[in-house]
Amino acid sequence: MSVVRRALIGPLVLILFSQAAAAQDPRLAARLDKPTLGSVRAIVDSARVAGLPTAPLVDKALEGSAKGSDGGNITSAVHQLYLRMGSAKRAIGPTATADEIKSASDALDAGVSARDLARLRSASGKRPLTMPLAVLSDLIGRKVPVATATDLVIQLAKSGLNDPEFALFQRNVRADIDRGADPTVAATTRARGLVLRTGSETKPAE
Amino acid sequence: MHDQRDPIESIARELRRPVQVSVSLDDRIMGEVRQLPHYGRLKLWLRLTTPRTITITPLRVGLAAAALAMFAILGAAHVGNDIWRVATPIATAMFPSIKKPAPNQRVQFVLVAPDAKKVSVVGDFNGWDVAHAGYQAQHRGGGVWSVTAPVPVGHHRYSFVVDDSVWVADPTAPRVIDNDYGMPNSAIVVSEQQK
Repeated sequence: MSVVRRALIGPLVLILFSQAAAAQDPRLAARLDKPTLGSVRAIVDSARVAGLPTAPLVDKALEGSAKGSDGGNITSAVHQLYLRMGSAKRAIGPTATADEIKSASDALDAGVSARDLARLRSASGKRPLTMPLAVLSDLIGRKVPVATATDLVIQLAKSGLNDPEFALFQRNVRADIDRGADPTVAATTRARGLVLRTGSETKPAE
Repeated sequence: MHDQRDPIESIARELRRPVQVSVSLDDRIMGEVRQLPHYGRLKLWLRLTTPRTITITPLRVGLAAAALAMFAILGAAHVGNDIWRVATPIATAMFPSIKKPAPNQRVQFVLVAPDAKKVSVVGDFNGWDVAHAGYQAQHRGGGVWSVTAPVPVGHHRYSFVVDDSVWVADPTAPRVIDNDYGMPNSAIVVSEQQK
C-alpha cells in the first residue's frame, strides 16, 4: 500500500468512525422506545450522509418526547424536518450554516416557498440569514400573510439591515400588534420606515 | 600456446552454451516457498521496527499534503456539526480564520404567570428536559418568574412549561409555527455580543 493511499484512507476512516459515534446520542436511547429509536437513528444517518446538520433532528425527537407525542408522531416529525432541511439547504446554498438551515426549515414549515428562500439568500448577500428568517417566521406566526411577510423581509435584507435592526423591527411590530394594530399594516409601516431610513424605497406587497 | 588455450576455450564454450530450464521450474520453486511456515506477526513487527530508507518525491509530498488539506476542508465544512471534534483541530491549524464554537451566553427568560406554582424553560439548548436544574425559573414576586441561564450562540427553539404540564410560548420572543406536535415554541437567536 502506497504512502499516498494510506494518507487518503486514514482520514476517511477517522471521519466515518467519528460520524458513526455521533449517531449514538445517549439522550435518544433514554427517551425513545426501541422502534422509534431505530427509525430516528436511520433518519439521522441519512441526514449525515446528505451533509445536513443532525442536531436539529435529535432535538426534534427529544422535543416530541418532552411533549408526550407517540413514537409514530415523533418519527414523522423528524422525517418531515429532514426533508425540509434538505429543501432549505438546496434553496439557500451549500455553504449555509446549520443555524441558517434550521431557521430556513422553520420558514418552510411556516409556508415560505423554497424560491422565496433563494430570493432572500440573494438579497442578503453574504450576511447571515438566521435572524431575517427567524423574523420572517415570527411575522407569519403573527398573521401577516406569507407573501407580504416574505416581500417585506427581502426588502429589508436588500436595504442592508443588520441583525440588531431586524430584532428591533420584530419587537416593534409585535408591540404594535399587541396594542391592537392590524398585523399586515403594522409590519408594512414599520418596514417602510426602516427602508426609507436606510435610503432605498420599497414596495411591500398589498 | 595452442595446447594451453584449449582448456580455457572449452570452459568458455561450456559457459556460453544456452541453459535449458524446465518450464515448470518457477512453479515448483514458488510451491516450495508457499509451503514454508508463515510468520505474519513477526514480519509485521520487523517491518515496523527495521529502519528503512524512504524515498520522498515532490509528487508524493504534494499528494500527501492534498490528502491532509482534504481532511481539513472536510473538517471546516462540518464545524458546528457532529464531526468537528475530530476534524476541527486540524482544520483550525491549517485555516486559522475558522473560529472555534463560541461559548455559551447567559440569557434571561421572563414569564408573567400569576397562578403558576412552577415554571421551567425547555428548549433545544437543554435537550427539552423539563427537569433540567439550571433552567427552573424563580418567582420574583407579583407573578413574575425568571431565570438567567446559559444558551449557546446560534438559533434556538424553546418554550416555558408551567406546572409541568402547560406549554407557553414566550410572549416577548419571535414565534415558531409548530405543525409537528401542536404546541407553541419561541425562537431566539443568540449572538456572541448578546449579554
